Amino acid sequence: MFLRLVADSFTRRPRRKVLTGAALALGMAIATAALSVSLDVGDRLAQEFRSLGANLVVTPQADSLPLEIGGVDYRPVNAGAYLPDSDLPKLKTIFWHNNIVAFAPVLEVSATLPNVTISKYGSPQRSIPAMQIQLIGTWADEHLQLPGGGTFVTGIAKTNPWFHAEGKWFSDEGHLERIEVAPMGHTYLPGPPECVVGEKLAARRNLHVGESVVVSAPKVESPQNMQSCDITGILSSGGPEDDALLMPLHNVQELVNKPGQYRKLYVSALTKPEDSFAKRDPKSMSADEFERWSCSPYVSSIAYSIQQALPGSDVRVIRRVAEGEGSILTHVRTLLWLVTFAALLAAALAVGASSAASVIERRSEIALMKAIGAGRGSVGFLLAAEQLLLAVVGGGIGYALGILLARVVGQKIFGAAPEPSLLVFVIILGLAAGVTMLGSAIPLRRAARFQPAPILRGE
Amino acid sequence: MSKASAISRTPNRKMFWRIVRHLLTANRSRLFVILLALAAGAAITAALLNLQTDARRRLSVEFRAFGANVMMRGKSDSGSPNLPSTPRLDNEIPPSDDGQEVPRVGFLYLLVEASPYGQAALSRQGVAVILAGLEGRNVRRVLPARILEVAERPVAPSPGNLPSNEVSGPARPSICRVGQKAAAALQIHAGQLIELANRTNRLVCFASAIEEFGGPEDNQIFTDLFSVQQLTWDPGEYVVNNVSVILLNVPGTPAQIVNYVAKLQKQFPDLDVHAIRQFSEAQGKIYSKISGLLTATVVLVLVLTALCVMAAMTNVAMERRNDVGLMKAIGGATRRVLRLFLTEAALLGLAGGLIGAAIGMALSVWLGEAVFGIAARPRLIVYPISVALTIIVAIISSYPLRRLASVRPASVFRGEA
Repeated sequence: MFLRLVADSFTRRPRRKVLTGAALALGMAIATAALSVSLDVGDRLAQEFRSLGANLVVTPQADSLPLEIGGVDYRPVNAGAYLPDSDLPKLKTIFWHNNIVAFAPVLEVSATLPNVTISKYGSPQRSIPAMQIQLIGTWADEHLQLPGGGTFVTGIAKTNPWFHAEGKWFSDEGHLERIEVAPMGHTYLPGPPECVVGEKLAARRNLHVGESVVVSAPKVESPQNMQSCDITGILSSGGPEDDALLMPLHNVQELVNKPGQYRKLYVSALTKPEDSFAKRDPKSMSADEFERWSCSPYVSSIAYSIQQALPGSDVRVIRRVAEGEGSILTHVRTLLWLVTFAALLAAALAVGASSAASVIERRSEIALMKAIGAGRGSVGFLLAAEQLLLAVVGGGIGYALGILLARVVGQKIFGAAPEPSLLVFVIILGLAAGVTMLGSAIPLRRAARFQPAPILRGE
Repeated sequence: MSKASAISRTPNRKMFWRIVRHLLTANRSRLFVILLALAAGAAITAALLNLQTDARRRLSVEFRAFGANVMMRGKSDSGSPNLPSTPRLDNEIPPSDDGQEVPRVGFLYLLVEASPYGQAALSRQGVAVILAGLEGRNVRRVLPARILEVAERPVAPSPGNLPSNEVSGPARPSICRVGQKAAAALQIHAGQLIELANRTNRLVCFASAIEEFGGPEDNQIFTDLFSVQQLTWDPGEYVVNNVSVILLNVPGTPAQIVNYVAKLQKQFPDLDVHAIRQFSEAQGKIYSKISGLLTATVVLVLVLTALCVMAAMTNVAMERRNDVGLMKAIGGATRRVLRLFLTEAALLGLAGGLIGAAIGMALSVWLGEAVFGIAARPRLIVYPISVALTIIVAIISSYPLRRLASVRPASVFRGEA
């Protein structure tokens, strides 16, 4: 009889039930979307904060003191120590390899642009004197072979996202040039390396994309070494790099005779904001605490595991970036959780109101049941069962809709859809059930006080 | 004619409002539910919109924590470490848009040979290190907290730390803060004296602290500007008051900073003035994400509010079949009846909006305080916008009432469903 009553209530007035169910589903869809997006938002925001650039810098441990002013190192090539770039794939094998977003090794040397004479037809000859510049060897789009198979694409454009190359970045491999070989046809030979010129340097030397530039650097053995490169882009960085010439790392290594070596490595890693626990010295921790510390993606524990992976290195946290990021991230995250809470509250209110409405309109039915002898408990039980059924169905549909909505919102705002999570599903079903029960409990209690007779009379 | 219609309309209008009043008060619990939904929606909308308009300013404040965002230096042609120095421009730097003085620090960098005091005599080679002299106004806003002490309030060394024998050179040593790596290279500890020398001059300084700054500053030694300037003086020349770099912390949004930089470039054409893009660009990106999220939430909350009101209105439509049947039977035109209900909805929206938006504004002030530690500045424009949005939502969600238009009086009175 009970099941029949429930089934009856669903089949007799399907439109009404569909309406209530739809309201429930829509409310829960929005709750799902808000919850999925905000569960994801911490990671996404941390990702966004990587546009601040590298938060770790690796230098050789045995290095001499860098003479760095305004981001430019003025040490001669043969001073100081170097690190081998063959170790770099190991960075993607450390415990925190998923948190390492990008890294780029840098070899900075001081180089000379020789004097050039520009002669254009119809205009007087112009000569540009030789000048000292900073030559930076780095990666732009290195496809790094990882030890475990697969490749990792990284480079300076990712560790320093505020670098904009007008034109395009150089290709680390260089390009092939088509050479006509008479009389057989043609063949391809490696062309000169590509390079990117800082905008101020380009303006001063009158350099443009598509032209080539000759640079000479002091080699350790031989006094001078020349290299010509094809300009593929003009770099604007708002920093000292605007006066520099950027070339693929291996070309600069050859130029200064430092094969396979670099001086500085920038690492951009996703981190958890540091709390007071993170700031403690790992040496003073107990085994348990050390375990907990090294299993949290604090910037200091990531630095520690990088140091383990790269022998002879000194890994430092760029405090200005890491600390600023940490404090803002904490604030913004709290704000967004509050916003999510507000959305959930609104959803609960909407669903509760609509289920309350659906009970209120069945007053006469309830009155009739009571008139023919149903107790308060059995009426409540029947209605509760109905509401629960509706909540599960509506919540389920709402969850599916909400995942779609979350995809749209996530894609629109962060360019990446959040993963559907089982946790959200459970929370949503629980919320749907709880809110519908609560919403219908209030009118039910009032209904319990009704005298059946006046209601049945239509008063 | 017009007078007659005016007369006939006056009691009509009175009647109209009387009916509206009765409609509103007929079912108090339902009135409460609808008002609650609308007010909650309005509150959340107003709070989020206020936070959103405020977020730009707030993020600007947060991002100032990163320190300097604009850099001025002489235009350099050579790659020499001794940057071209420029006269100090402290008094010529214009105030920011809101008329405040822009925090600034002037740096003079110098490549020096450093060695622990007394060892130069043993002809031990000094270590090449960068010495930075700094001085500025409101330094705290520009630099990582630990460097600023030399610039703001030099600590006098306690007499016990001074060597007992005569100190040649300046009678009182300058105060230095030494970066951790520089200290390791020099093998010195806090409390020791360091001897710094360039080609022509010599400076003895007291290492008041060894610091880890977490940046290139770790490789440098910091002292006050005047001490470094003294090192650069040639014999017989004591007038130059130069710096190599001036760092500024300009308040405001990325766009305001760009404007300010343009202003500086115009004023100092000989200098290379640029914004430190690393932080200003990230700020713009992050603002757009947060603003997008807040907008999306506002839209979702408004949809939910509409849903909630709609559920209640469906009920209203059911209950009012009899009333509408009666109205129609005594000659009420469908349009006038519907206008009655729309007025009711708009009034509900207005009341809910007025109450809710006020709560929401207060809420956002409190949220700002709780989350960011600074109360959000209430933007008055947000209030009318939230109220208007609530009214629109209320009217849209009275859509279920359209069913009343098709009520046929005769069937209602016969008691048909």
